[in-house]
Amino acid sequence: MNEPLFIFRGIEKSFAENEILRKVDLSLYPAKCILLSGKNGSGKTTLLKIVAGLEKPDVAEIEYAGKTNSWKKAIRSIRKEIIYLHQQPFLFSGNVESNVAYGLRFTSLNRKQCRESVIKALEWSRLSDLAKIQANTLSGGVQQRVAFTRAWILKPKVLLLDEPMSNMDQESREQAFFLLCRMKSAGMSIVITSHVPQYFYGLADVQFHLSNGKLVQSELSACNDSP
Amino acid sequence: MNGLLLTTQQALQLLLSGDAELWSIVMLSFSVSLKAILITTPFALLVAFALNHGNFPGRRIILAFFNSLLSVPTVVIGLFLYVMLTRQGPFGDLRLLFTQSAMVIGQMILCFPVLVALGYAAIQASDRRVWETSRTLGAPTWFTILTVFYEVRFGLLAAVLTGFGRIISEVGISMMVGGNIMGYTRNITTAIALETSKGEFAQGIALGIVLLALAFLLTALLSYLQGSKELTA
Repeated sequence: MNEPLFIFRGIEKSFAENEILRKVDLSLYPAKCILLSGKNGSGKTTLLKIVAGLEKPDVAEIEYAGKTNSWKKAIRSIRKEIIYLHQQPFLFSGNVESNVAYGLRFTSLNRKQCRESVIKALEWSRLSDLAKIQANTLSGGVQQRVAFTRAWILKPKVLLLDEPMSNMDQESREQAFFLLCRMKSAGMSIVITSHVPQYFYGLADVQFHLSNGKLVQSELSACNDSP
Repeated sequence: MNGLLLTTQQALQLLLSGDAELWSIVMLSFSVSLKAILITTPFALLVAFALNHGNFPGRRIILAFFNSLLSVPTVVIGLFLYVMLTRQGPFGDLRLLFTQSAMVIGQMILCFPVLVALGYAAIQASDRRVWETSRTLGAPTWFTILTVFYEVRFGLLAAVLTGFGRIISEVGISMMVGGNIMGYTRNITTAIALETSKGEFAQGIALGIVLLALAFLLTALLSYLQGSKELTA
């Protein structure tokens, strides 16, 4: 196995008296997909948001590039490498094209390069025909594909997906699965939470189950057999 | 009844004939109130944002304080400012009393809590995912704040229009710290008060028509914005 991109160590998080995460460790490898399961309220989303830098942990350390730092210190450097996608993605006011281009303005690309990247990304996700359509008028499945494209264009090292296929029909799931496979084969590390693990058969390399604040590795085949 | 009709007719004639004195009063009103709202809006909206997204002690008390300021009478603000700006007051050396600047400051104090309270409500109605999505896509904090503002722009515009409506129609502050000086600090509301006390109703009614037209315009704009918000939701 390759060297991990990032290792999150000893993540602890409590809400009031409720301990959600207890010394959780998570290693993220390039071109590998982790499937994260657990009951509602078990802390899956909280864990993903801590990894993405959107939620502050009580305690955590991050190891990357051979150095170990506290979460607070390290997250500033690695935030741009990690993108989190909501269960129901939020698309900004504007058309599909402007949504896909949103993150590019914070990169070093010039206007022409940005435009070329957007065109390529829309072709990549087969959304070129919808480029000028208002994003929030699209169906849930297409909105998720726009969100994938908006993330893909920034070439993050890690993609965190919270229940990405929960509101999709069969056709949208197939299209989304196809895009995720391409992201993984491009070298992205992917972490997916899902109540229906079998959707990700053939994509996930390892499955962890989050229960009582602890992350436990479980058999991928077992989860795929579940209803 | 005939007297009222006659006076209204005279008022309309004054408006339509482009009476220089009357229109200079209208322009001064708009100039002062626009300056006040334009200066106050960015600060007030940032405070509203901080109260919404910040996690600091006393947040709720500050919000309650701003909410309580919504109903403060304008003469109380006028009195407070008068005491501050009078020659013997702490800011007397600035010689701001009975100037347009004093009126602008007073109106800023008046509209600040309106903008904070209504801005807070608009931002609170925004989706938390706006902030998280913008941040995860690499946007710096300032750009993320602008993105949140843009997503709730109709609510914020409604707050600004309400604030503007509050200050352009106030009389207490303008009278007390402006002094109602013709051609310098006389605005629509102080002119109406003066003309009415002199028994010259035509100019008062003409200025009242301008205020009413403005109130109608602001209400129509608010309704339009509300409709746009619902359409885009």
